[in-house]
Amino acid sequence: MNGQYASLLIAIPLISAFFVPVIKAASKKAVMPFLVLVTAAQTAAAAWVFNEVYTTGKPIIVMAGAWRPPVGINLYIGHFAALFVFIVAAVSFLLSIYNFKTIKIEPIDKYAMLFLLLMLGATGMIATGDIFNLFVFMEITSITAYALTAYNKTGEAAEASMKYMILGGIGSSFFLIGIAIVYGSLGTLNMAQIAQLAGSMNATAAQAGLALLIFGLAVEAELFPLNAWAPDAYQAAPHPVTVMFSAFVVKAGLYAAARLLYIMQSVGSWHSVLKLVVIMATLTVLVAEFSALRQRNVKRMIAYSSISQVGFIALALALGTQAGVDAGVFHMVNHAIVKALLFIAVGYVAVELGGAEMENFRGLGRRMPITAFSITIGSLAVIGIPMFNVFWSKLRIILATVDVGYTWAAALVLIASVVEAVYYLRLLHVIWFEGSGERITESAALGAIMLLLVALVIVIGVYPDYVWNLAQKAGADIFNVAQYIKNVPLMGVGA
Amino acid sequence: MIEISAYYFGAIALIMIGLYAVLVKKNLLKMLVGLSIMETGVNLLLISIGYINGKSAPILSEGIGPKQAVDPIPQALVLTAIVIGVATTAMALSAAIILYEKYGTLNIEEIRRLRG
Repeated sequence: MNGQYASLLIAIPLISAFFVPVIKAASKKAVMPFLVLVTAAQTAAAAWVFNEVYTTGKPIIVMAGAWRPPVGINLYIGHFAALFVFIVAAVSFLLSIYNFKTIKIEPIDKYAMLFLLLMLGATGMIATGDIFNLFVFMEITSITAYALTAYNKTGEAAEASMKYMILGGIGSSFFLIGIAIVYGSLGTLNMAQIAQLAGSMNATAAQAGLALLIFGLAVEAELFPLNAWAPDAYQAAPHPVTVMFSAFVVKAGLYAAARLLYIMQSVGSWHSVLKLVVIMATLTVLVAEFSALRQRNVKRMIAYSSISQVGFIALALALGTQAGVDAGVFHMVNHAIVKALLFIAVGYVAVELGGAEMENFRGLGRRMPITAFSITIGSLAVIGIPMFNVFWSKLRIILATVDVGYTWAAALVLIASVVEAVYYLRLLHVIWFEGSGERITESAALGAIMLLLVALVIVIGVYPDYVWNLAQKAGADIFNVAQYIKNVPLMGVGA
Repeated sequence: MIEISAYYFGAIALIMIGLYAVLVKKNLLKMLVGLSIMETGVNLLLISIGYINGKSAPILSEGIGPKQAVDPIPQALVLTAIVIGVATTAMALSAAIILYEKYGTLNIEEIRRLRG
């Protein structure tokens, strides 16, 4: 089949989002099943693209309107994008089932639209090959994310959304200034052409431009100091939206930051920008872990833990070596699975027991055994116990960090991991050894989703090689810029 | 004829004024106004990057070919950025309405239920 069909990945959620009001007019009950249908179609399309890219070993370049880049805007679905577009679609599919249980507040049709648009934004950010197109997808993602954060219509939700909007507004302005600097010096917006010409850029201008782009993305990628919105938004947003934030919205931001970092790698001042990101990432890990320690709300605690894991990924991606990028991508995959599991389970508890406060988790082992079991496996995995998936990626990140010579960073994140173990074990203690209560019948569908994710955590933990191979290929896709330039069929027009 | 650096200076000044308002002001609406000013500054910066002294708007018409026009790409970008800015502002103002209903104030020092 023709690779241009990969543009369906953008087209399916976009057109379906516009059809939601029509579906609602027909029958209000049909909106949620419609979401399941659309995300299933998206998953199928993404699975086809994934298969195509990994069997041929060649990226799919979608050219909008058949204009060759850099005149036309192209999508670049390489090994990384194929893998992550699939993860985005699959997680959204699981969440569309989860929605039935968790979304009770009206207006459901608006929720369905925003849900699809958020999925579209993250997919687009991962797939695009044009820097301004990246900005547009980033704004689609963030505006829908603001709206979804405020969806519960409580004061807290509006407050969290407002914080997110102000930081996001500053971030997007910074990003645009970065684009202005890059366009002003190179005269192109296509990423492959930027990579080609980056060496000719004035080192100071490149440093400023790249730093501004990274700062702009740091809001989405939840890097310190621009992540103050994240714990609030995670806590106040509806439960499926929290899962989306943690499983793929933040990954899209991280990926975009990494892609921009590496396409600019031939500029003279590249290493000083890398060092800046390493410092931001290490601070992210430390600040988030110590804040997590004093949380009484479990959802907020796991949000902080998610931010610290994001710091780990950013650290790995900013090392500037092949090993680091591979480890970072591997951690992204593992983190998406584990945090999806934890947030789904915690959200389910919050729905059943009326809140995610620590007190509600007392005796959970007796009340909701499957959910409690899932939280236990997820927590043990996040701490980095061997035989679970996160262990392998954390190990590789720390090895890669020491390899580059950032021993101080490795030491600091290891200390942070110990802190992480403390608060997760405290949660497990509350779940299994305190309190008691009536047994609650757990939903079979949600139980199946959680057990599926648990199985993934354990299978990847025992046989990490398959996913590690995928991660290596995806990492090479980010790291090997010469290949990236060669893959995009640039028209022979110079800047 | 004004030097091109004057445009850059004006754009960056607007960005700084906007950033100052966002970071320092206590009233939510003033912060949002600041955000808008900042966006305007960024848009002006983008436009001035594509500006070439003495050339006309990039609209294909009699006497104006590709050689007589300024760079059209930044103008297309700004058009998109303006639309996005309007959406963000509308979204922020509607959240401000909810905040005022729930908290009875727009002072950001009093809107602090989420902490920690």
